[in-house]
Amino acid sequence: MRDVYSAVADPTRRRLLGLLADADELPLHEMTARFRVGRTAVSKHLAILKEAGLVIDRKAGRETLYHLNAAPLREIQEWVSFYDRFWTERIGHLKDLLEEENV
Amino acid sequence: MSETVVLDYELKSSIERVWHALTDSTTLSRWMLFKSNDFKPVVGHAFQFSEAPGWAGVVDCEVIEVEKPHRLSYTWVSGAESNMQHSTVVTWTLTEAEGGVTQLHLEQSGFRSEAKQEIGGAKYGWMSMLDQLKNLLPSE
Repeated sequence: MRDVYSAVADPTRRRLLGLLADADELPLHEMTARFRVGRTAVSKHLAILKEAGLVIDRKAGRETLYHLNAAPLREIQEWVSFYDRFWTERIGHLKDLLEEENV
Repeated sequence: MSETVVLDYELKSSIERVWHALTDSTTLSRWMLFKSNDFKPVVGHAFQFSEAPGWAGVVDCEVIEVEKPHRLSYTWVSGAESNMQHSTVVTWTLTEAEGGVTQLHLEQSGFRSEAKQEIGGAKYGWMSMLDQLKNLLPSE
């Protein structure tokens, strides 16, 4: 599984995610039309986003439609803020313990 | 990078005391939420933090670095029994400062998503999150 953060580190991929966030579903040619890079490059970026689980595709006739799946990013964000609170509390206790007595 | 938890504290204690509190199993159980642990400051030692109120299951850890009294690092794997598993690395860095003060730096890194295929996940908050990410990631 590709790392979500390396997937969003690229500006083209962030723009693609932005496009998909504004639309329900988009076919490749509509996305390609908004970039200066070619179809192959956009397609490669989409493949990377797909590997990271950020984009899901489905076949609709001869077209492939892409849509956003923001869940992986949200999940990480939730863990980070959870642990931020967790360790802040823990270190608070550690500080009290060290300052109150000899351990 | 936002997938890392970073915290910095100044403790009015000697570096030896802080190191002891981070590496002595009994003392650990007094300030960590977990009532029980079998920690030893030995590289390669596998241990668990367990019995925490409100915490489902245990945390599986393995010591990866011990540089007394400056640096301690261990893996932190939680949720192995559920579908919420995450594997990270916790690193403590201690620096001696003036006047018997110890600077304590904590990093927890390596948060990865399992990228579960939640079809039709809500887009709520997504764009603001993307904006935050842009600020956090190195600019190209």
